[in-house]
Parts: sequence; C-alpha cells; structure tokens
Amino acid sequence: MLKLDKLERTELAKMAVQIRKNVLRMIKAGRMGHIGGALSVVEILTALYFKVMRVDPQNPAWPQRDRFVLSAGHKCLALYATLAQKGFFDLAILDTYGSLCSRLGGHPDMYKVPGVETNTGALGHGLSIAGGMAMGQKMDGLDARVYVIMGDGELAEGSNWEAAAAASHHKLDNLLVFVDRNHLQISGPTVDVMNYEPLDKRWQAFGWSVREIDGHDLKQIVENATDIPFEKGRPSVIIADTVKSKGLSFAENKVEFHYWKATDEDLVIAQRELDEIEERISQ
Amino acid sequence: MNDLRDPRKTFGEALVDAAQNNKNIVAISADSSSGSGMTPFKQRFPDRHIEFGIMEQGIIGFSAGLATTGKIPFVVAIAPFVTARPFEMFRNDLGYMRQNVKVVGRCSGLTYSDLGATHQSLDDIAIIRTIPGVTVINPGDPVDIVKAVHAAAAHVGPVYIKIGSPKMPVLMDENYPFRIGRGVVMEDGNDVTIIGTGTVLSKAADAARILKQKGIQPRLINMHTIKPLDRELVLKAAAETGKIVTVEEGYLAGGLGSCIAELVAVEHPVPMKMIGIDDLFCDTGPYEELLARYGLQGEQIAETVEQFLS
Repeated sequence: MLKLDKLERTELAKMAVQIRKNVLRMIKAGRMGHIGGALSVVEILTALYFKVMRVDPQNPAWPQRDRFVLSAGHKCLALYATLAQKGFFDLAILDTYGSLCSRLGGHPDMYKVPGVETNTGALGHGLSIAGGMAMGQKMDGLDARVYVIMGDGELAEGSNWEAAAAASHHKLDNLLVFVDRNHLQISGPTVDVMNYEPLDKRWQAFGWSVREIDGHDLKQIVENATDIPFEKGRPSVIIADTVKSKGLSFAENKVEFHYWKATDEDLVIAQRELDEIEERISQ
Repeated sequence: MNDLRDPRKTFGEALVDAAQNNKNIVAISADSSSGSGMTPFKQRFPDRHIEFGIMEQGIIGFSAGLATTGKIPFVVAIAPFVTARPFEMFRNDLGYMRQNVKVVGRCSGLTYSDLGATHQSLDDIAIIRTIPGVTVINPGDPVDIVKAVHAAAAHVGPVYIKIGSPKMPVLMDENYPFRIGRGVVMEDGNDVTIIGTGTVLSKAADAARILKQKGIQPRLINMHTIKPLDRELVLKAAAETGKIVTVEEGYLAGGLGSCIAELVAVEHPVPMKMIGIDDLFCDTGPYEELLARYGLQGEQIAETVEQFLS
C-alpha cells in the first residue's frame, strides 16, 4: 500500500483540477458532451495515472505496462483529459473535440488516441476485455495489472456479470474494478431505473473482494488501489461513491447534466468555479 | 467420394498441429470443447485451453483482451452461439478493435438438423460479413478445414470459420494451395458457373457430375472464402459462362448468393439463380432428408440448374 502524505495529496488535488479544466476545454471546443460521468471519475483517473499505474507515455505499447479499460466509454472526456496531461498526446489536440474526424470521438478509439487500450462505448464490454488482458498478463508471468472503471448504471448489462463470474473463477487477482457509483443515469436515480443494490453483496457473491470508498478522496483511492489484491486469488472491486458532474456546483447531482449542451454563459461560470477550486487548494 | 471425415475431429487435430508451431495459440471453450473436437488440444496443451462455461458473450470479450497481450485465441462453440448471440461483442471487440481472434462456429447450417431453429445457423455468414475487417471462411471439405485453420492462424486479424457436423467427403487435393480470398475452380466448363460453399459444396459437385452426364458443361467453383470475396474469379466466370448459380446451406438473404449478386449486378450483370434457404425457420429431421426438403441435394440442384438454363 502506498501512503499519501499531505503534500502529495495537495499536488494530486491540483492535478485533478487541471484535468477538470481539460475536460471543460473540450466542452468549449465541441459545445457538448457527456460531462456528468466524466467529472465523477476525475479523482480516480488522476490517482491511477499519476500515482498507481506503471505506464510510459513515450511507449504506450510497452508490454509490461499496467492497463486501463474505461468500460463506461462515455466518460472518455476525463480519460482524454488525463492522457493528455500525462503526456500521451499534445494538449492542443483537446481543442479538436467535436470537430470533423477529430481523434477524440464521443467514445474512445484505441487506434486514434495514444494510451487508450480499448474501443468502448457500448456498455457491458469492458470487463470481459479487461479480464482477458489480466489473464494474458498472468499467462505471460507478468506482474502487471488491469484497472477498470464501470458506471453504476452500466451494471444492468448482463454481460458484466458473465465477466465478473469468469474473473473470479479464473482467480484474476491482478484485476481491479472501480464502480463509479454516482447514483444517476439518463432516466433518473440508478436505484429507481434498475436497482442493483446492494452492490457490495452482489460483487461478493460473484467471488470478488469488495471495498467501498469516497471516490473523490485521493488518499482513499491511492491507498486502496495500491493494496491489491485485497485477497489473494480474488479480483478486487472498489465501489466508489461519487458525485455526478463533481466540481460544477450548478450541475452536481443533476441528471440533466449526463450530457451537457453548454451555453457561453455556462462555460464562463464553469471556468470560474474551477478557478476558485484551484485557488482554494493552493492556499 | 468414399473418403468421409468428421469435420470437428478434423478441426481439432488441425488446431493441435497449428498450436505445436505457434505457442501463442490458445483454445477458448464455452462448455463446448469435446463437441468441438478439442479433446486432443486439452490433453496436449492443458494450460492453453481455457474453459468459460456457457458464456458466449463473455468469451468474445475475454478473447479480445487475450489477443491484446499477443495470444491467438481460437473460440469454438455451436455456430449461432458465437455469431448471433454475441454479435455486438464480435463487431466491437473483435472487428472494431481489430483483434487477432479466430471464431469457429461448428455444427453450422442445418447440420444440427434434429435440434431445430435455435441451433441451426443459417444467418452467420450474412451477419458476420457486415463487420469491417473480418475474414469469413466456409470450408468445403475436410482438406479445406485443415488448411483454413492454418491460414487463419497465420493471418493477423479476426476470422470466422464455419464448419458442419456430419462426416463430409474429401473433395480437394491435400496438396492444393489454399489462400484466403481465392476461390478454386474444381471443374472447368463454359455453359454455366456453379459456385458452392461449405457443407453443401459436395452437393454442388454431385450436381455438376449429373449435369455433365447430360451434356451440360458446368464450371464448378469452391468458394471457401466468403470475405474477402474472390472478385476476379467471379467476374471471369460471369464473363465466360454468362450464367451463375450459387449453392449454400444458409439464408439467401445476405449469404454467398447475395455476395456474388452484389458484385455481378454492378460489375458484370448476368442471370443468376440462388439456391439456399428462403425466409423461414427450418424444420427438424435427419440431415440428408432436411437438405432434400430445401432443395439442396445434388439431383435437385442439377434439376434447378437445368430449368434455369432452359
């Protein structure tokens, strides 16, 4: 387990704000996008790419690398923002979001964006693919790991539970899933649309080792994500409680910001709010 | 025609052979290994055989993930359960992600004749060929099956191979040069071209023999690769014989006949007759009798061709 001191925590928090600003930069370019779920996973991605995962932006295909699979592909604004910040590609490419033939589509394409490992977007695919990656790493004797972000609404896809069963059956303890439990999906609260609670008991019943954390607490994310496997021989899952559209007060916990069509006025307010968060952290 | 071989056993032995030369080959099973001829593979390479139980969506995604680490998964199960059921996984995880996975649908066409429409696979060619970058192979005899396995293992990219279930006759020379995307002229003639594929290639060959006895000289083509289609061979046949008949054990909608028609209608229009399964769910019964019910026995094909020519 990697312990995070106060200074490191502050540095990571600053990085998280920068990544939110990168997300906003793409929205400014494209005028619309899946903002809610992107902003709920920013701390998880920040922790993974800047503290937890072994990746090399100069060599994205490094065979010994850890891998990240964004099963909930519509959260890709956060992934693009993080990869660019990490140096996988030029930050200026963020300004192409929404333009014709941009490398940054509304769902990620591994052949267009360096650092992207999978072509997700259709929900319920990522965990199977990640399981295959983890299995391949084990067959090759690598100590590399696979990290996945899934949405809580996404869990209604039955294919996820096929993958969950197979991952535990095959003892893939090099696999860590984050369930981004932001409690909302397009039609409303996840528990009202299709209730999969209690999530912890469901994952446990499928043979996973489960922890629940605050998905915006960088210390909790880093310390738990560097403590896997939680139990030897079992895949690990972190149910991360998050806030949809975290960081934009006018959008937080509002289902209409699942997909945002931003006005000029919205963008000004959003920029100001992120600047204020940054100032507070720096003080 | 007396040399009959079991297609699944033939496939399984070919896979062992290919795996001996390529340590990256792994076999993926959905509670389907023995019925898929993979018992010898399991015995020979127990660490390279991965069992998933009846999980036909999951195995496609897992195979895609394995392929990203350099493995060459051969996913083998009953044809509809690795094509129609996990179609979106096939399209996105293998096609869109361009992963080096080989999917083998066995007991395809009507060969699960007794088990009915849920288990018969008549639409697999039609649906899988819509996926960009996926190679679709429909071997016409046991020799083709062996060659298809080796060619698929050597080819980088997603491949779908469909095989049947009852023993099938050897039609091809063991030493013929099999190339993905290259059809084979089995009989030369200029009165009509008969293009057969897969499990009913032998029926097309029977028909060609009958027609020759009646003084008609058909050109017979084994179209073992549906995609990419051998355009050159088809257009040459269209130009030289002026008429094309296609024979397949699958739906006319989207199948081999459709592929050929899509090409010749645009490039070199000629009269065509497509023999296959119409827009219906098929009945059950003994395989050969079922083929006869849908006009797919050699004598019936010959008769259809004769009517077409007259």
